[in-house]
Amino acid sequence: MKARLLGIVVTAAILAGGYWVWTSPDGAGGLGRQNAEREGGPQHRGGQLVTSGRAGPRTFNRFVGQDQLSSVLSMLTMGHLLRVNLSTFEVEPWLAEKWDASADNLTYTFHLRPGLMWSDGVPFTADDVVFSLKAIFDAKTGSYLQDVLSVDGKPITADAPDASTVVIHFPAPSGPGLRLLDSLWVMPKHKLESALAAGTFAKAWGTDTSPSDLAGMGPFVIREYVPNQRIVLDRNPHYWRKADDGTQLPYLDRIVYEVIPDQDAELLRLQSGDVDLTQSELRPDDYVPAKRAEDQGKLKLAEVGLSPKADAFWFNLKPEAWKSDPRFAFVRKREFRQAISYAVDREKYAENVYLGAAVPIWGPVTPGNTLWFWPDVPRYFHDVNKAKEVLKSIGLEDRNGNGVVEDAQGREARFTVLTQRGVGWYERGLAELRTQLAPVGIAIEAAPLENAALIQRMLGSDYEAMYQRFGTTDLDPASELDMWLSSGDAHFWHMGDAHPEPWETEIDALMKSNMTTPDQAKRKEIFKQVQRIHAENLPVLYFVAPRMYYAYNVRVQGVKPSVLRPVALWNADMLSVR
Amino acid sequence: MRAAGGVLLVLMVFVAVAAPWLAPNPPDQQFDTYLYAPPTPFHWTSFSSLRLINRLERRFEVREQAVPVRWFGAGHFVSSADANAPLLLLGADSYGRDIFARLVYGGRASLGISVLATLITMIVGAAIGGIAGYAGGAVDEVLSRFSDFVLVLPSIYVVLALRAVMPLVLPPAQVFALLVGIFALVSWPVVARGVRGIIASEREREYVTAGLAAGAGPMRLLAVHLMPAARGYLLTQATLLLPAFILAEATLSYVGLGFPTSVPTWGTMLSDASNVALVGEAPWMLAPAAAIFLVVLAVNLVVQGRGRSPIQFDVDGRRS
Amino acid sequence: MIRFLLRRLAFALLLVIAVSSSALLLTRLAPGDLTTELGPRARAEDIARARERFDLNRSPVGQLGGWALRAARFDFGDSFLYDRPVSGLIRRAAGNTAVLAITALAVATFVGIPLGIITGSRRGGMAALIRGVSLLCLSIPPLLTSLLLVFLASRTGWLPAGGMTSVEAVDAGWSAWLLDVMRHLPLPALALALPLAATFERLQAQAMTETIHQPFVTAALARGVTWRQLLIDHAWRASLRSMCAVYGLAIGALLSGSFVVEYVTAWPGLGRLMYEALRARDVYLVAGCAAMGGVFLAIGSVVADLLLFAADPRVREATAE
Repeated sequence: MKARLLGIVVTAAILAGGYWVWTSPDGAGGLGRQNAEREGGPQHRGGQLVTSGRAGPRTFNRFVGQDQLSSVLSMLTMGHLLRVNLSTFEVEPWLAEKWDASADNLTYTFHLRPGLMWSDGVPFTADDVVFSLKAIFDAKTGSYLQDVLSVDGKPITADAPDASTVVIHFPAPSGPGLRLLDSLWVMPKHKLESALAAGTFAKAWGTDTSPSDLAGMGPFVIREYVPNQRIVLDRNPHYWRKADDGTQLPYLDRIVYEVIPDQDAELLRLQSGDVDLTQSELRPDDYVPAKRAEDQGKLKLAEVGLSPKADAFWFNLKPEAWKSDPRFAFVRKREFRQAISYAVDREKYAENVYLGAAVPIWGPVTPGNTLWFWPDVPRYFHDVNKAKEVLKSIGLEDRNGNGVVEDAQGREARFTVLTQRGVGWYERGLAELRTQLAPVGIAIEAAPLENAALIQRMLGSDYEAMYQRFGTTDLDPASELDMWLSSGDAHFWHMGDAHPEPWETEIDALMKSNMTTPDQAKRKEIFKQVQRIHAENLPVLYFVAPRMYYAYNVRVQGVKPSVLRPVALWNADMLSVR
Repeated sequence: MRAAGGVLLVLMVFVAVAAPWLAPNPPDQQFDTYLYAPPTPFHWTSFSSLRLINRLERRFEVREQAVPVRWFGAGHFVSSADANAPLLLLGADSYGRDIFARLVYGGRASLGISVLATLITMIVGAAIGGIAGYAGGAVDEVLSRFSDFVLVLPSIYVVLALRAVMPLVLPPAQVFALLVGIFALVSWPVVARGVRGIIASEREREYVTAGLAAGAGPMRLLAVHLMPAARGYLLTQATLLLPAFILAEATLSYVGLGFPTSVPTWGTMLSDASNVALVGEAPWMLAPAAAIFLVVLAVNLVVQGRGRSPIQFDVDGRRS
Repeated sequence: MIRFLLRRLAFALLLVIAVSSSALLLTRLAPGDLTTELGPRARAEDIARARERFDLNRSPVGQLGGWALRAARFDFGDSFLYDRPVSGLIRRAAGNTAVLAITALAVATFVGIPLGIITGSRRGGMAALIRGVSLLCLSIPPLLTSLLLVFLASRTGWLPAGGMTSVEAVDAGWSAWLLDVMRHLPLPALALALPLAATFERLQAQAMTETIHQPFVTAALARGVTWRQLLIDHAWRASLRSMCAVYGLAIGALLSGSFVVEYVTAWPGLGRLMYEALRARDVYLVAGCAAMGGVFLAIGSVVADLLLFAADPRVREATAE
């Protein structure tokens, strides 16, 4: 009898507690940091910021580590001569306070700021810059930055006439020019000289390096790294930068980077205030919880702009991959792809796939890429009848009335499209595409694959069609040369293109010219031609560019979200918390 | 209680079989303007349809004009009289598909696979465990180590390897067979271990010695006399495996060995609901969990409802 | 007894070798390799260098042979993902998982088994309620359980919503660190323990029910043994035999780490490590994790057999023959 009573009381208590938790506003206890204060207000020194990401870094050696987190860590702990402001996309002086250009724009003399010091107190000199370039181009290091810091295949070189002057030599006229130097992160000569001499530079500064052996010119220094858990970064006491009012930057005492592998759990912790900001923009399905949190005064939801990159849909254009498959005869015709572009209703696509938060596009460059977007690129407006006509003009029509078009020999336009598993808008995008291509008679079947399998197929050209998005680190098309050039390693629709078509050769020539023309206006004109040729031949189809939304805790001040990653931390030295 | 369990089971089977009739809409039809829609308010003879206000914010408005509901008409148990205003009893998912329809159709794949896989696992596991427990010695060792090996090999490796050799797009029937096969292959050691433990200790009992003395063959002893001792364990294990298989199907789907997204299953529907931040506002998305719970409850009641009910004693030891 | 243990040790070794070899071979056979981690825009030289370093140009069997030879000297190779030796990574991850596993096992045992005894020996509302809750715990996928717990933790703020340690513990000493870990344990431990407790409860209840109907129980009651005494001393012990096998399995499985729970609650354990290694096709890390999993299963197996041995006199006698 007593036991039964106890059971009833316990059950009632649990149910009541559950109800209370469910209906309570976020952060009813403990960690809720609700703030009625408005945004703005003066920024103070002090405090700690918690950020999060999917995984930990693979190495602290910036010249070897290519993963996204290495890039974030560089921005936090390292310095460069100049930087590209990710809000204005302009080049600004950084470690160098000014520079002079030679008449032919091939030689630049950088004047370093006075009194620069490494985080361990050792003075920073021009020798460090020369050393860094030397390390990058050392054969044993095999750094991926070699490609970035070269023009026309020849390396950029530097020398140091005195301790506070660096002279940079470009081997040939360069289109991106000084922007390339944004990637020249400077590593300390006094710490790594011996490693370079011994040929072990590539192995130096792995994640098991003791933090006291690291040194950088960035606003923060690594204090501790617990593998798979977190990185703790403390303020660099010798950081050179000051705010406009003379306050020594960075404002923050400490940044904590938590490793949270699951994106849903990360969102929950962002909402509850456990995490102040994340590395990536919100997924379209996460808009609603973020909005709720904003309404409750916990988060600030910002519309950053349009994403500079969009989902791409393309057919494998490598003849060797199709072997004797007769479908390739019509896939390789540009009219086939043009018909698809006519068939798709991009507005509807934006509604269904991105819940309306996207704009139609017809080329690889979106309006989010404010510097290079060309609105007059040839467009194929939605017209199902036109699409059918175009298909008919290359011999594809529905002769047997089964809803799928076929060629004169009866080979149907039926394809399997590969995409990455587990990404909601890819799967929704393909479902929408399937629905929209059905009236025109093209049948596609989606096959979501795990990422490793997908990449393997792409690199091996072992697929019929694919649907994917590639990220970008810079808005300048020069950073994607390996995609544009038919001989490039990332020419994804036709890997290892041995016999480029005339239009591909034309693009090759134009891109090379774009790379080596210093006049920015001319470069834009050249790139417009590239976009035009791309739109006429449609090796890849683009439909919509999604809007980017970013949410962060209201206590963080100074956030300037960028369409490029890292969305907020690129400006880490100017961030502060209330 | 057992009767209640039985009724529930029959009901579930009926729902799965009669899914096309019960569901007001096809399970793979995407209603463009109803992404993430809440359930349409149902008033028995009519219902209020929804109008989309803002997709990104998932705001819908209930329309004033009620749409009539048609019972037993047009080949459906209940449906909307207006083709443009679908009846969404449990709202819609992220593709705008009717959750209720997917729930009843989902029962087919989920129940079918898990029931079949459970049966096969039981049979194979009991057989191997029984032989190991009875034979003892080297046979027992080999079988036990073999089952250990199968157990510790993370099934996910096998699945990935399989995915590589299978063609990209498989017809649903093949996927069904493949899933049943994988589940049974991976889970029989769990059953075998337990059965082996029971048989091994049961073997030492007097009636076994008596049976042997009377001339019974080992097969007969095992099947007719020893196995019933494991019956209770087997039945309980069945109630544990059933939901596990339903849920495991979702994991396999994630790795790529599952049905295409147009074929609904309870496991994948729950994975879609994993954006927990929203579940507070859209609790209907957890309907598949309720369905799984009901199935498990039903099986459990049937298996342990009546029959050997516990004898209740009070504190003084008097039977009551 | 010693012979028994030695034999089990030999088999355990065989098991570990077999499992890690299979894992390595299967990882090679799966589509893609670790170079896909470099991304779709990786340079050809970087890919070639990685392939060379991790023996991907050798045949799968050749690579296995090389790995086995080095493993005999306790050199388990490097991990591509973390750019460190595999053994260090696994040691740390296994330790973290072990802490979690032992806690979850303890909770599941002390909650599940007594509840199972209760439901197995009574009728009535209480038993039905417990049974209902058990079944509920079994119907919800571990992904949802973990997410719901994270949701709960973040809403109420009573417990940290993930991770193993807090930032504040960075500067603190040993005892503060221990306390910190203990604050982070309940979330993932609960996510693991709930379905396990439910499983224990169901199995224990069934075993209990059967045992109660045995003649010796009625005989004991007739002798004057009290109900409570009967349950604990006599009936329960007899019901242990099937529980032991399951318990051993549970130990092995828990120690290998549940990937889902560790992933969602950001606990840096073996399950998560194994999954990420597999996803990235990090061959040597996969082999190492599989080997560790094999070791744990072997441990669990031995523990199960020992428990059965200790609990059931019939088995003791049989083995003595």
